[in-house]
This record gives sequence, structure tokens and C-alpha cells, in this order.
Amino acid sequence: MLLIPTSSSSSSSSSSSSLLPQSFFNSNSYSSNHHSLFLPNLRYPILHGSRKLKNLRLRANFWESIRSGFVKDNNTTQLVEPPSTIEEDTEPLVPVEFTLVERTLQDGLIEEIIFSSGGEIDVYDLQGLCDKVGWPRRPLSKLAAALKNSYMVATLHSVMKSDSDSSEGDNGQKKKLIGMARATSDHAFNATIWDVLVDPEYQGQGLGKALVEKLVRALLQRDIANISLFADSQVVDFYQNLGFEADPEGIKGMFWYPK
Amino acid sequence: MLLGGTISTPPASLRTAEGLNLDQLNSVFVAVGFPRRDTAKIEVALEHTDALLWVEYEKTQRPVAFARATGDGVFNAIIWDVVVDPSFQSCGLGKAVMERLIEDLQAKGICNIALYSEPRVLGFYRPLGFVSDPDGIRGMVFIRKQRNKK
Repeated sequence: MLLIPTSSSSSSSSSSSSLLPQSFFNSNSYSSNHHSLFLPNLRYPILHGSRKLKNLRLRANFWESIRSGFVKDNNTTQLVEPPSTIEEDTEPLVPVEFTLVERTLQDGLIEEIIFSSGGEIDVYDLQGLCDKVGWPRRPLSKLAAALKNSYMVATLHSVMKSDSDSSEGDNGQKKKLIGMARATSDHAFNATIWDVLVDPEYQGQGLGKALVEKLVRALLQRDIANISLFADSQVVDFYQNLGFEADPEGIKGMFWYPK
Repeated sequence: MLLGGTISTPPASLRTAEGLNLDQLNSVFVAVGFPRRDTAKIEVALEHTDALLWVEYEKTQRPVAFARATGDGVFNAIIWDVVVDPSFQSCGLGKAVMERLIEDLQAKGICNIALYSEPRVLGFYRPLGFVSDPDGIRGMVFIRKQRNKK
């Protein structure tokens, strides 16, 4: 019944969660008739103007070095592995939303991978993504509540548009959720990262690293000094590469009667 | 002894635990070896805490034990800041606070209850039902100013 951050380089599932009856959970109305776009109350101060930055292409400095690494003629784009240094003092503030990767696909479509910490996420999309990586199903209402109660929800979306679509508007764009990570926090001292996942079709490209890196930086920039997580044994290296240390000073993660 | 506390459901209305003097709480933190933290920040932390419990010594009306849990309110909770004033240790206060806190979290439907334990108090948490590194899961913390050479 452990919910553990999952690796971005494998589609192994987490342990199953034991689901208590719905009566335990007091949920407000949750519509099941249509996709509910979930917009959480922003709990953290917005450091960069408006949330509507979709049309504003901001690229953090160290991703500029990545763009030269992609080849336009291929279907796939490999992200050149960036050095995983997170220097919160010297790096610019993490914008709420920005484009991580842009590439041209074989059929002339342009794909953009967009990072956002604004937490705009469709719970149905999330459930679909959890299915894709093989996680056990959790009730939608609980998923929605967990997102709402998270301090920060970071997402990766893939947006497809045709070559001829020179405007950067939303019309006719296909937007797909391909990654998510979230953090709970007391807004002052501690944050814990949960549920890191990347669509298997998009794994192996450094997107999981980007997701966690940006999330960590955004948390640091909001003055959260202690950022922690629990890692499956097979992903300990992944997080170590991102600056996390297991059992620092012998401090051990413990779980109450894990199943 | 008076066992008091609040279970607050996020998003929280801005309030601290009723009757809990944060300066006195801070003194208990310091007495057990925590660095002294800004009381205003402690207030913010408590406002965004899922559940907390504290024990008040009736004679002095001061807090002598405390624990709190943060989380997403449905799946996961992490317990932080478990403290018992050194003068009141070893008489079951810490155990009582933990047991009650876990009960409260369970009552909210939270199944995944975790914490980070210093090595010297692993023996305190184990009898309460906590297991370290189950299935090889490791607790990890982000270390700032790390230069990654890989």
C-alpha cells in the first residue's frame, strides 16, 4: 500500500494502495460527466506574473544548451543530458510554464513539451497516465483531492501542432499529459515529493529528470529548505544524480505497517 | 495531563492550534536539540499541517510533547517534529502522542504514514509499528550546493 515515486526509465509499478471505502472521504461534488479541468488554489506565491504563459516561450538558460542537441529530420529527439546541478541562487526563477523541448516530427507536425508548475491537470488524464505506467487505480475523487491538497503539482504536456499553424494559440492543438510530479509541504520547512511519473512512450529522454529538477528548483525558490522523497531501490541512483542523498547522516525513512 | 490538538483539513483557514503557545513550543524544540526556528515560520507550518497533537502539563500549562503530520489528506502523510520535553521523557508521552496521531490520520483514511527517523530513535518508532526501508525503499533528502560529477 505504498505509493512511491516511480522511475522515469522503467514502467515498473508501485506497490498497490489499499483503498478505504468512499465513506471515509468527504468529497465535494465531483462531476463525472465531463473532463473536469482541475485548477487548484495556488498555494505558493507566483514569482512570474501571470499563469497564462502558454504563448510565451521562456527557456531556462541551461536548456538552451540542449536545443542544439536535437536533430530536426528525425522523429525522435534526444535530450543531451545536462549536468544536474541545481543552483537556486544563480539560476533565474523557474517560470510557471515554459517549453522544455520543441521538435519537428516526420509528418511535419511540431511537438512541444511544456513544463508547468501551475498544477492545471485533468484528473482523467492523470488516471490514464497512471494506468499507462501500470499503477493500481485510485478513485478519481481521491486523486483530485490529493492534487488539490498538494503544495505544488508539476506537469509535462505534449502539444502537437502542424507546421502551417504559425500562431501559438490553442486552436486545434492536441495537448496530452505525459508527466507529473507533485509535492506536499507545510509551506515553511519541509516538502515531500510524491508520484513522479512519465508516459512510457516519452521515457528515456531526460524528461523525468527535467520534471524533478524543475520541481525541486521551484520549491527551493520558495524557501523550502528540506525537500525529501521516498525512492524505490531501483530509482535511488536516478535521484542521487539529481542531488538527493539517501539516509543522510543515517536518517532512515520509515513506514507504518507497510503492506 | 491534558491531551489537546486540532485536526485541520487543508486548505486550512489561517489558524494555529488553539491554545498552543508557539514560543513555548519552540523552547521544547530547542531543548531536544532542534535549531531554533522563527516562530512566524512555525506558525505558517502549523497552519498547513494536516494533523497535530500536543500534550500540556496542567501545572505549568506549557506544552511538553508534540507531533504533527503533513500530507495530501487522502493518500500520504509524513510525521514531523516529534518531541517530548527532556524532563518528561520516558513516561510514555511520546508513545501516546504518536499512537493518537496515527489514529487520527487513519480516521481520515490515510493509509501511507511515513517519517524520517534519526538513527538514535529508530528504537522508539519500531515498537509503534514503523519499519525502516521496507522493500528497499529509501528516504532521500535533497542536498543543496551539491556538484554532480556524473
